[in-house]
Amino acid sequence: MISYYPKPAIQAFSLLLLLYLAGCSSSQSQEPRPVPNSGDRAADFSGFWELDYSQSDNIQTKLNTLVRELRQQSQRRAPGGSSVYQQAGGAVMIGGPGTTNSGASIIGLAQMAELITQSQLLEIEQDENNIKVKRELDFALTCQFYLGQYHKVETPLGTEVCGWDQHQLIFKLVLPEGLTVQHVMSVGPQRQWLNIATTVISDRVTSPFTVNRVYSRYQPQDTGYSCKMTISRGRVCTTESQ
Amino acid sequence: MYNGITVSQRRWRNAALALLCCLGAALSQLVNAQQAELAAAVPVGSVNLVVAQSSSEQERLDVGLVIFNPGIPLDASTHSMLGIFPEIRKAEAQFMPVLLRQVLVASDAWGVVRVLPDHQASAELLVTGKILQSNGTRLVILFTARDATGRVWVDKAYADVATERDYPGVEGSDPFIDLYHQFANDLLAFRQRLDSSQLRSIRQVAQMRYAASLSEEAFGSYLAEDAQGNYTVLRLPADGDPMMARVERIRNQEHLFVDTVDEQYVNLYEEMAPTYNLWRQYSLEQAMYLEDFEVRAQNRDRIGQRGSFTAMEQTYNTYKQIKIQEQDLDDMALGFNTEVAPTAMEASGKVFRLTGTLDTQYNEWRSILREIFAIETGLPPGA
Repeated sequence: MISYYPKPAIQAFSLLLLLYLAGCSSSQSQEPRPVPNSGDRAADFSGFWELDYSQSDNIQTKLNTLVRELRQQSQRRAPGGSSVYQQAGGAVMIGGPGTTNSGASIIGLAQMAELITQSQLLEIEQDENNIKVKRELDFALTCQFYLGQYHKVETPLGTEVCGWDQHQLIFKLVLPEGLTVQHVMSVGPQRQWLNIATTVISDRVTSPFTVNRVYSRYQPQDTGYSCKMTISRGRVCTTESQ
Repeated sequence: MYNGITVSQRRWRNAALALLCCLGAALSQLVNAQQAELAAAVPVGSVNLVVAQSSSEQERLDVGLVIFNPGIPLDASTHSMLGIFPEIRKAEAQFMPVLLRQVLVASDAWGVVRVLPDHQASAELLVTGKILQSNGTRLVILFTARDATGRVWVDKAYADVATERDYPGVEGSDPFIDLYHQFANDLLAFRQRLDSSQLRSIRQVAQMRYAASLSEEAFGSYLAEDAQGNYTVLRLPADGDPMMARVERIRNQEHLFVDTVDEQYVNLYEEMAPTYNLWRQYSLEQAMYLEDFEVRAQNRDRIGQRGSFTAMEQTYNTYKQIKIQEQDLDDMALGFNTEVAPTAMEASGKVFRLTGTLDTQYNEWRSILREIFAIETGLPPGA
């Protein structure tokens, strides 16, 4: 039995998890990639993008896959032994070392991936040395790219590193308490679609959790005006043409 | 061939690596130099403004405050490392001289105090400033004050720190007002060490330098400049010299322009102050939040176990809120527009419409005045 249910939505995941504890087939996991910076010619991500559900990963399906992988990992480590067991406190574990791979941690990882990839709309501004990926309901991903340099910002709250890997742009965010989030952005030919592969890593789960979100281009409706706050003049509204 | 790479390729690779190392080293040097400059500036502490007691007209020199150097490194890749928001810095470079002007006026020690869009070599006392650091917590400005004779009054970095108690601040004041007070007090102290003949000499040199800037041929011989760039007056035109009367008229026209654009700086200051102060307050709060984050992180009540969704959500949302706040502030600064309204000026019966940034307008107006002077006198224009 899963010991911790912070929200009703988790119940669906829990059910799914329990189903998979009964045993399923395996698949190859997608390992998080490092953040290199090759200085390659940049892909153009600029524009307005909206989430295409039909092309994007389903979180439940990805969770199923993760559980399957963890189970297989466990079986490989202890052939013949049970890969799934219940701790004294009642929490279900999928055979990870120490306190890893509890049911709550695995579901938590999936929920985090859902939370982090919830943005349905993106607005991306990009020039030769900068990119700003404005995400609905979340902070913007920003990166400055200069030849041969990683863009790294360190604070006590977390460390951001970003840079190019060939034509992919990678953002890596290392947060306290063993949480790491990585976004790998790539764009299709003729820029019809944009893919963001978001990987969430927890030091309490032995496998990362990756979700692909595919976005397609759209043109925002012309409202006739736009407003923004400025440091010198407060709220400023300007008319805009089609 | 060696390990699949030709010697030529290896050379190129080594050269590229060397270049990257040099770039990295240069960046590191720049950041270190900046940090050394900042470390040298000692906070001024709490400072009361000294108000001059009965300054005579003779002692009241006119002061020109040039729009500050925003201190933004050309290498944009260093900005985030140095904590510089370029758009905010550009706005601050126009905001701070207006505040300094208010302080100098309040000290009741000076003649006309003008904010200048660009350098004016003939100012009786010219003050320049370079912003070395500016955020809600700390302000460091390198001030240089030099009179028309070339004598340096002040050339040092002033630092001040703000605390929570300095915010939100009262209207007309500033969280870093002590820094401005200290600089104003230092200027006054220096002036009080000068005798009346030295002050008179400053005025005369300023006047003749302006005249020479209009026509080197006619007025250059009145001045001498030594190797250190110090000026002395060798002789003076006779009282009532009609050429000097023209010079004074042109000089007044230039001051008229400065007084006109001055209104724009004051408007900018008044419009910017509330939002800018809010930005600085947020900046301070953010810095304080970050400083004691680790302490709070150790002491806080953890909502969920490490690795649970609740615990991870808490960690992510903390970071997210800080980032959103930081990005909002940056967006606000991006909205600052340095373009200003065109200025219409009248000279010799003609109306001139000046456009562009204030320093462009200022230089254009000075060129027009020099041309008018040259036409009126038949003398070749000065440099």
